[in-house]
Amino acid sequence: MPDPVQTVESVEEILGRARRLREQALRSDLSPLQVIEILERWGDALRGPTVDSIPGVPFLRLWLRRGTLEPVVVRELGTEGLRAQWRAEHGIRLRTFPLGVVGHWPAGNIEIQPMLSLTCALLGGNGSLVRIPSGLVAQSRAIIEKLCDVDTEGVLTERIFLVAFDHERADLQRAMASAVDGAMIWGGDEAVTQIRSLPFPNWARIAVFGPRLSVAAMDEESWREPQGRHIWCQRIARDVWQFDQQACSSPQTLFLEQGADADVADFVTTLAEAFRTENRLHPRVTIHPATTSAICLSRASWLLQDVGHSAVFPASPDWTILVGKSSDLPAPTQGRTLSVLIVESLLDAIVKFDGTVQTLGLAIADGDKEVGLTQAAGRSGVDRIVKLGRMHVFGSPWDGTDMIRPMVRLVRHVPSADMRS
Amino acid sequence: MTDTTADIRRQIDALLAAPLFSTAPPEREERLLELLRSELTYACARSPRLRHYFAAWPIDFRTADRIADLPYLPVGSFKTDPPLTLVDPEKVVRTVSSSATTGQTPSRVALDAETSRRMVKGVTGIMRDFIGPRRRPYLVIDAPETLRSETEIGARGAAIQGLRPFAIDVVCCLKLGSNGTLVLREDVLLDFIETWRDQEILVYGFTYVVWQHFVAPLQAKGVKLAMPKARLLHSGGWKRLQDQAVTRDTFRAGVAEVLGCLEERVLDFYGMVENIGIVYPDCEHGNKHVPAFGDVIVRDPLTLGPVAAGQEGLVQVCSALPTSFPGFLVLTDDIAQVICYDGCPCGRRGIAFRFVKRVPKVELRGCGNVETIRQRLAAA
Repeated sequence: MPDPVQTVESVEEILGRARRLREQALRSDLSPLQVIEILERWGDALRGPTVDSIPGVPFLRLWLRRGTLEPVVVRELGTEGLRAQWRAEHGIRLRTFPLGVVGHWPAGNIEIQPMLSLTCALLGGNGSLVRIPSGLVAQSRAIIEKLCDVDTEGVLTERIFLVAFDHERADLQRAMASAVDGAMIWGGDEAVTQIRSLPFPNWARIAVFGPRLSVAAMDEESWREPQGRHIWCQRIARDVWQFDQQACSSPQTLFLEQGADADVADFVTTLAEAFRTENRLHPRVTIHPATTSAICLSRASWLLQDVGHSAVFPASPDWTILVGKSSDLPAPTQGRTLSVLIVESLLDAIVKFDGTVQTLGLAIADGDKEVGLTQAAGRSGVDRIVKLGRMHVFGSPWDGTDMIRPMVRLVRHVPSADMRS
Repeated sequence: MTDTTADIRRQIDALLAAPLFSTAPPEREERLLELLRSELTYACARSPRLRHYFAAWPIDFRTADRIADLPYLPVGSFKTDPPLTLVDPEKVVRTVSSSATTGQTPSRVALDAETSRRMVKGVTGIMRDFIGPRRRPYLVIDAPETLRSETEIGARGAAIQGLRPFAIDVVCCLKLGSNGTLVLREDVLLDFIETWRDQEILVYGFTYVVWQHFVAPLQAKGVKLAMPKARLLHSGGWKRLQDQAVTRDTFRAGVAEVLGCLEERVLDFYGMVENIGIVYPDCEHGNKHVPAFGDVIVRDPLTLGPVAAGQEGLVQVCSALPTSFPGFLVLTDDIAQVICYDGCPCGRRGIAFRFVKRVPKVELRGCGNVETIRQRLAAA
């Protein structure tokens, strides 16, 4: 079996691959239902020593389920869209068609992101040309090999080309951009700005996801009682640990509503215990020295800044909890560093969000209060509002935009003769 | 408190007077640990902010039984204005700032008369061990303006001043050009050589200044100076030269060629303003050593515990000398390799290490990176 992640050195190779992917995608119809059938088998196959240790694989398995994907397709493309059929609407007919070939530029920090991105384009019937970041080649290879195992007829694998090349090869980046009909770009500010400036064809549709950060919020009722507090703290710890707090959906700050009947010190003790437990279950195996430096500096800066601040952390850089009173969003540190900011009212913090917040993870006991906070969060630029503990569950819409629809064309047919009923 | 301070002074002076590189590691650890604990107590008394920081440390420094467990400050903590101090403002006689590259905030440390005196004594003692005690003509590869400020001095100025005790005649062979760039004063250089040709000569410059404003222009003209007895010391790091693909070997060979001396006479030393009074020249086996009044801990980035011999990690420097600012235990943004914890063939006792590189710029990664956007908006 050829290596499913190919290293490419020439512009011609990229252009040739893109041409073949387009031909393959446009040669015949491939309905989302057919795609889902194979994706579900892929999800079932994503087990075993080569993939079990890859962060995010459980999320990917969840995403690839029929029960997850069908509702997404129906919501974005309609019931007929699921079968790639025409639908009648006020005397006209509408149907989705693929753009052709979609280029994917996933971020280098989320191991499963290349796969999440390409599944969206495949569901639209497109071919996918995916640039795999250098740090994700081995993981991407292991995951895609599982697809090769289940897609024996090559229905999907022939529509996918995973390519690896040095990110500084501007000629290959330009070639890839010029050869695609759509682009899904994920990543940090620098990467996104750089990729958006590539010479895409005028007709290319471009969807950008990130850079964003995420925040958690808890009302006093949720953490006042020891049992509830314990459960919510475990959920926060899970959200912080997943993807090593580098994802746009990772909480960097927790706004904690102050109450008359609960002691913040109890909360911090419970949260620290949850962090210790999560760290025992999922210890780091590697860390960039720059991250260690940033963690140490965040601890010192926070405590030296104000004697009203406090912090809990071990001697290692494993995790850090910074505690203070503020409704302002602090600069994120990442590296499992959570700022816990005590506020009189969660609304005070949420109305200050400035559009950088992607996901708001909530633990709110009072339903009416949650409705009000959700309304305020939406107005303040938040695109996802979810339960704490589920901040990374991938779903559509993401970053406030659909996942499949941006990569399909909606063709309008006005019949030349009157339509028969 | 006064008794405590006096006791600390006595202990520091005793360490400064002791042999610098001959103490056995356990004995050094014991003496330094006790002094550093006293100094941390002193810092707590002088600074509520530091007391607050130390109180949050996972291990109580008062009961810590090894230097590696004491609370350290990351080097970025010194990039504050006003600088972190432990003395009243009127006691500060000089502020030393680091050589931050363009756009970066420099570290600033405040020196009182005592710390300033110890700084000179510390550096002099160390350099004496490496280049001998003799005073000699001193050629500074920099402009006189670098030395002029009375109260605020940069890292380059501090390093130049640190070698003054070894000088009988100080000559700066660069000047500031009309656009503020450094220009070689060839006439001054030639006069200096003419006067001191056959003497043992001390030459110092910041690494990139030596290369860009001394070696490169002289190489371009094909000039080779006849200074076989010159000993060139340089410090300040390699980052700017790495950007120009100048390696250590290229540097040493270039300097030796221009000066007309052996490569062995080109000595790199590592130091930083936050670690006042200590410099780390290479020994004849290419290793760096710590004097009796300091220590170096190389920490594993994954655990922050000390690494084993042969391994690399983040460098923490320790110095007992400062009492005007909290520069006792400083975690740097540098990576070093521990060669051995004792037994360097040069005979100097204790840890032997080699500087490897700067930690790459600390940046948030991936799709969660919004800091650059915020910075851009803030700057607009």
